[in-house]
Amino acid sequence: MRALLAACCGFLFLSSGALAQSPSAEDISSGKYCANCHANAHLIWAGRHGTKADARAPVSVGCAMCHGDPAEHVKSPANPMPRRFSKMAAAEKNEVCLTCHQGRTRIHWQGSKHERNDVSCSSCHQLHAASDPVRDKLTQVDVCFACHKDIRPLINRPSRHPIREGMVSCSDCHNAHGSVGPSMVVRDSVNDTCYMCHMEKRGPFVRTHQPVQEDCSICHNPHGTTAPNLLKIRQPFLCQQCHEPTSHRGTAGSLTGSSSAANTVARGCLNCHTNIHGTNNPTDLNNERTFRR
Amino acid sequence: MKTQAALRMTGIAAAMLAAFGSARAQQVEPLAPSALNTEASSVSLGAGLTSNDGRRSGEYNGITRDGAYGLIDFNLVRRDDETGTWTQIYGRNVALDNAQLRFEQSRQGDWGYFVDYARIPRFEPFVITTGVTGIGTPNVTVPVTPSATGIAELSTRRERLDVGGEKFFAGNWDVQLSFRNEQKNGARVFARGSTNPAFEFTPEPIDSVTRLMEAKLNYTTSALQLSGGYYGTFYNNNQSNGLNIIGGNAGLASFTPIALPPDNQAHQLYLTGGYNFAQSTRGNFKLAYTKATQTDAFISPVNPPQAPGTGDSLEGRVDTTLFQAGIVSSPMPKLTLRGDLRYEDRDDKTPVRVFFSGTSPTSTSNGENEPRSIRTSSAKAEASYALPASFRLTAGIGWEEKKRNVSAVRVVSARETTDEVSYRLELRRMMTETLTGSLAYVHSDRDGSPWLTTVLNDGVTPGSNLIAPIWLADRKRDKVRATAIWNPTDPLTLTLYVETASDDYSHRDNSNVGPQKGAADNYSLDVAYAFSERWQANAWYTKYDARAEQSSGVSPVFSAKLKNLSDNFGLGMRGKPLEAVQVGADFSYSNIRDVFDQQTVVGAPVATIPDVNTKLTRLNVFGRYAIDKASGVRLDYIYDRYSTNDWLWSTWTYTDGTTLSENQKQTVNFFAASYYFRF
Repeated sequence: MRALLAACCGFLFLSSGALAQSPSAEDISSGKYCANCHANAHLIWAGRHGTKADARAPVSVGCAMCHGDPAEHVKSPANPMPRRFSKMAAAEKNEVCLTCHQGRTRIHWQGSKHERNDVSCSSCHQLHAASDPVRDKLTQVDVCFACHKDIRPLINRPSRHPIREGMVSCSDCHNAHGSVGPSMVVRDSVNDTCYMCHMEKRGPFVRTHQPVQEDCSICHNPHGTTAPNLLKIRQPFLCQQCHEPTSHRGTAGSLTGSSSAANTVARGCLNCHTNIHGTNNPTDLNNERTFRR
Repeated sequence: MKTQAALRMTGIAAAMLAAFGSARAQQVEPLAPSALNTEASSVSLGAGLTSNDGRRSGEYNGITRDGAYGLIDFNLVRRDDETGTWTQIYGRNVALDNAQLRFEQSRQGDWGYFVDYARIPRFEPFVITTGVTGIGTPNVTVPVTPSATGIAELSTRRERLDVGGEKFFAGNWDVQLSFRNEQKNGARVFARGSTNPAFEFTPEPIDSVTRLMEAKLNYTTSALQLSGGYYGTFYNNNQSNGLNIIGGNAGLASFTPIALPPDNQAHQLYLTGGYNFAQSTRGNFKLAYTKATQTDAFISPVNPPQAPGTGDSLEGRVDTTLFQAGIVSSPMPKLTLRGDLRYEDRDDKTPVRVFFSGTSPTSTSNGENEPRSIRTSSAKAEASYALPASFRLTAGIGWEEKKRNVSAVRVVSARETTDEVSYRLELRRMMTETLTGSLAYVHSDRDGSPWLTTVLNDGVTPGSNLIAPIWLADRKRDKVRATAIWNPTDPLTLTLYVETASDDYSHRDNSNVGPQKGAADNYSLDVAYAFSERWQANAWYTKYDARAEQSSGVSPVFSAKLKNLSDNFGLGMRGKPLEAVQVGADFSYSNIRDVFDQQTVVGAPVATIPDVNTKLTRLNVFGRYAIDKASGVRLDYIYDRYSTNDWLWSTWTYTDGTTLSENQKQTVNFFAASYYFRF
């Protein structure tokens, strides 16, 4: 198949009067010549890579900056470019991009989960296109789901973040280029990441709920659930994973009965323990210290 | 609280049209407005019509009622090639409740700034029938006798303004500044209750401001990259003086005011960096110090009066110190070594005071507040070796220790330290013409220091000590993940993803209650096929199941086998039957079943809880006709169906008469036509 493609490209070169003569350096650096075979290659110059006034931009060198010297390839399409991204290992591809893009939020790329799993920049980014879907909040999620199949069915669950509306995107919470937080969250911890939007949960409070202070994901699955409020499991079962079985805490779930139903339906245990993330009430008249007031 | 009009002429845009994200074969058309590309300028204008109310589908965009809507998106991008100056103005859903607007200007490699505005609404999907008044204010009146005389439409709205800029300096330095101001208003479902029994609907008023600000100084060369700065976060609750409740059940009279979230803030200084010691060796690090405080005044009037000496505020303070260092090195071409150390000390310096004086000797509290300090240390090491035939074998080990402070009198069992060791082995095949894939196995083992016996406030009587809380319990976890991407022929791609994980929890001595097992299985198959350059299709199926087994209770003791089982699939198609015509369709379907299997272990029979079945169906069909190279029209049809038998609110009535209900079969049909112009 490759031989056939090469032959076709060669035929096109030869049959094109405009290309019968050797291309100029300008034609090559501008991508015009390359576009004869690589249809959308020139689109990269419509973006930041093509800003001529920026001396750092690849357009100042041309395709060669990333793909290597095209001289032999121009002579014959059968001669591969020095850097054939489709045939390069992820680390080799990334090295090209990191030559310019190692700083700022990409400092922790090396050692990140993506780097360890052979994800390359071009696995997610489309450079030779009019738009890069991963940089658009609305389409980014599709790019991520190319690998993260386990998350795909969750974002449509009844309890969810507004991801499919493009109001929240994966990169609002995760830095795909690496971070020092777990699961590549954008801040140093899960909680610090959640606080960016849910800072009212931070406290500290007079009465603190220990797992709340430690890690939001002990109780919540931020990607989507059928339980309300992104809870991993409905109450009372969620609460019974930590709380002693004595007294009302060990009541079985039920849809009837005043006390047991109060554990299960509506807000579940929160029907009474309404301030479950913590309360700053300094007093305790009727045992409200248990997040009830 | 926001009252919605029955019929609104507002904008709708790609967000609604792209509600089928995971089934899409390609990006939506026209070009996404956020694209920063000189070929991405476009304006799209049109109108849409919904046939039915859709409180679920419109939860985050406000299209909850049938009616007509406008369609407005735009993206204007210009580059001055002489100076390298970019100017972008874009808007998405500009007349909808979830509008996004952005203005950005930058001289590439020199300076730049942006202004972003976004509205993020959430409309409560349940219909609330209530006699409670004052909703959305800090003074709520609850009927003394049950009364549900009106409909309350609860919603919250975040209005977010982001501004930022950057400036590059000589010598590889640059500065980045950003500031976010997010105003959140509205009301959300909230309540008070007691086992009198009386439960009352007392919506929480929301009127708060969240601010984030960051200033970074970056230094970037090919060998060394540094980034240091300040990150400040501030929360101001304009209603932090508590929720006052008037009226209601006499048994709940003392449950007022209810404390609302207090103001708080945090200031972080950090320095992070990376250094390429050689072409094959790189190290990175981060140092950060954060001081978080919460000194908001307590609610007033306090009920009952505060204990002496407890001051006007908590004087809460949490200092967090973070250090991380990592290294990646390839000492030989086939071998890559990785190592990482991380230390985080969350030191809760909040003073301990007796807030609840006169606490009963049989209480599980001694009246003191309970600061939570956590010190986390972790280390990872990994070796990866390239084998013949494009295989790569990776082995790694990780260790994490968490040390927590423990209060003298506790409600929940505790242990001071947990340790977890994990082992990872992976075989990966790369770079073959038709097949890439990986097979990984991870085993982790968590245990910890001896369980501390819970003692009541008299200091002698043991409390209940039967449970090992799920996030502290001894746990063995096994996970297997397999992935494969196969291109048997040029137009066909198959992607297989399998992940199965299981947890096994240990009990406390002499106890068999608490978490026992957990499991999660995910099986996914994706198929993409290009019939020709003009026609492509894809299909996917995902089976996602999560299970938990646990037990609780004293008399009776019961087990609960909880399952969340789902089958999900999608179909997508894109075609170009004529040069000027593009068509596409995306379909997705999820069938989710939640099972709550309770069984008696000892004692009287326990009640059965019905399963909850939820079905989500979406179909999006579009056609686009290009009038010429620059303009065209687009037609869209969306079918959205939500179906459930969820009992969560259907059997519940608050003591004050309030009910929450929803149409358990919601079907929305949406038709839209738009004209687009590119330039």
